[in-house]
Amino acid sequence: MTEPKRARGPWSVLRYFALGIGAFVCIMPFVYMAANSLKTYAETVTRVSPNPFSPEFWPAIPQWANFSEVWLGDAFGHYFLDSFVISLVTLAGTLATSCLAAYAFAKLRFPGKEAIFSVFLATLMIPETVTLIPNFLVISYLGWIDRLAGLTVPFLASAFYIFLLRQFFRQIPDSFVESARMDGATNLRILASIVAPLSRAAIFTVACLDVAFSWNSLQWPLVVVQTPRWRPISVGLTRLISEEGPQIQLRMAGALISLLPIVIVYIVAQAQIVESISGSGIKE
Amino acid sequence: MPLRLPSLSARSSEAASGYLFVLPAALVLGLFGLFPLFFNACISLFNWRIRHSTFVGLANYGEIFGGALPFMGLLASVVLIAGGFALASRGKKAPARLLGLALIAGGAAGLVFDLPRIEALGDPDMLRSFRVTVWYSLGTVPVQLVLGFFLAVALDGKFDGKQTFRVVYLLPYIVPAVATAAVFERLFSLRPESWANQVLALAGARPLQWLREYKGVFEMLFGSVPAGGPGSLARYWSAWAGGPSLSLVSIMIYNYWVFVGYYALIYANALAAVPRQLYEAASLDGARPWTMLRRITLPLVSPSTYFLSILGIIGTFKSFNSIYVLRDPSTGGVTDPMSVYIFFQFFHGGRFGYAAALSVVLLAIVAGLTAIQRRSMEKRVFFD
Repeated sequence: MTEPKRARGPWSVLRYFALGIGAFVCIMPFVYMAANSLKTYAETVTRVSPNPFSPEFWPAIPQWANFSEVWLGDAFGHYFLDSFVISLVTLAGTLATSCLAAYAFAKLRFPGKEAIFSVFLATLMIPETVTLIPNFLVISYLGWIDRLAGLTVPFLASAFYIFLLRQFFRQIPDSFVESARMDGATNLRILASIVAPLSRAAIFTVACLDVAFSWNSLQWPLVVVQTPRWRPISVGLTRLISEEGPQIQLRMAGALISLLPIVIVYIVAQAQIVESISGSGIKE
Repeated sequence: MPLRLPSLSARSSEAASGYLFVLPAALVLGLFGLFPLFFNACISLFNWRIRHSTFVGLANYGEIFGGALPFMGLLASVVLIAGGFALASRGKKAPARLLGLALIAGGAAGLVFDLPRIEALGDPDMLRSFRVTVWYSLGTVPVQLVLGFFLAVALDGKFDGKQTFRVVYLLPYIVPAVATAAVFERLFSLRPESWANQVLALAGARPLQWLREYKGVFEMLFGSVPAGGPGSLARYWSAWAGGPSLSLVSIMIYNYWVFVGYYALIYANALAAVPRQLYEAASLDGARPWTMLRRITLPLVSPSTYFLSILGIIGTFKSFNSIYVLRDPSTGGVTDPMSVYIFFQFFHGGRFGYAAALSVVLLAIVAGLTAIQRRSMEKRVFFD
């Protein structure tokens, strides 16, 4: 195998030109968000320019107070904490149920295994719109409206993560599992001390995807959250957008706060996330 | 070493732990993933408004389609078209193919006759949200495929900064849609100082209403098409002829921003798997770049094309977050695909039974699309 040659010359220039335009377009809205989150209300109307290289695009003096106003005045600190708790609970539950099920599908023999697995996968095809009304009724019968349970329990298992983890668990040689079994280890122990540590990267990816998923979810929280007792940040931000009227700088500050944790998770885990999404093709 | 057979008890204990391990996930997925399908179908048979409910049979479906007759007509047309396609594509002999084509023509004629009636007698908002969904798929998926493919070509191979570009391209896709939609809601606002109107001003054009504009873009460009009386074919077609509203087009632009980078990464993965020797052999045979693109690259990335197009089309039937943020209530629903229309019937209208019936229709469409995808994957897509 020979290393492919690095392209030089006009093709290379063209490549960087095209990729540069693409990257600029991807970044521009974030820059707009940051610039406008630091403006005064008057500046969002009078000091405007479509060109980020013009000084008019930026605030004259950065108004950092916008952030404290959103964090305290619009209760973004509260929303932030709610989203954090919801994400953590969902993550812990999803990881537990998905690892157990993926281990069973990858390493254990039991009648009906393939059938159960395909039924699991079938749940991925069903649009959320179809499950929304019945799930809302089930959650109300259980008395879980406005409760942490109502926001998290329906998402404590995901066929997609089970599928991803099963792929990784299957690559671990059966001999590892067999020899541990000979030594008298239970399946739970084999999963916890052999299979899971060997699949750290995959579990980490699933964890990051799940945090991004719970942080982004809007439709379900809108339906099961009716008082400010639990209000995840996605719902808080949509309320801010509809209630703050023309106060663009506050909306942009709120938007920036709400995407910061995901951007941090993404930057920390970029290699794995990019690989798993471009390889598997799904974020769910 | 003697062969050791696992004892019966060992095997049954393995099976027991298998079931035990699957149980927690099965409980959650069963209760919140599968049971809702049946429950939803049941709800759709009731006149269920938040609490009070009486059994009404298929009346909700009757309300959607304007009675039993138009509904049966629609079903018959769809069955005719599906059967016609099956015959025309599978049949080896000319008579079978001709019969298939005849069935398709019959089904299409049935639709032409039936759809204006459904619009007049049934729920016109449902048909409008269906039109929005169709425009939304047609307006987003092909554009994203083409732009994504070209970016993927630029991303192919080894070069400095490749990983940085990949990370940046996936950024719009990975961050919360509510937050980025909040930005686009400003970029495409109707105010003269919005970004989109500033760009228009640079070009010397007058500001547009963007997300507030309910008019179709074809109507804005070419003028409106005269509409006939209710239930007439002219009325039905004029609704299509106006094109997607400018507000929907603004949402499509947001969609390009979110998905083009993602499409590029998927395509780049597929491009990386194309054997280089094929290009070398082809260029030795004197093939031009364009020919190589058409004869080698496009067929070899076709599984990704199918995957992305079906994912994109089904995605428009599921879309919610960005439209919920970007829609302007004053446009009267011209930006709402079926999923959003159903949500409003349920959440703001409190019409649980009717919304459930609508979502059964949505599920049928998605299932139909998935079935078409399966069949076309089997036939046309080139797998190695």
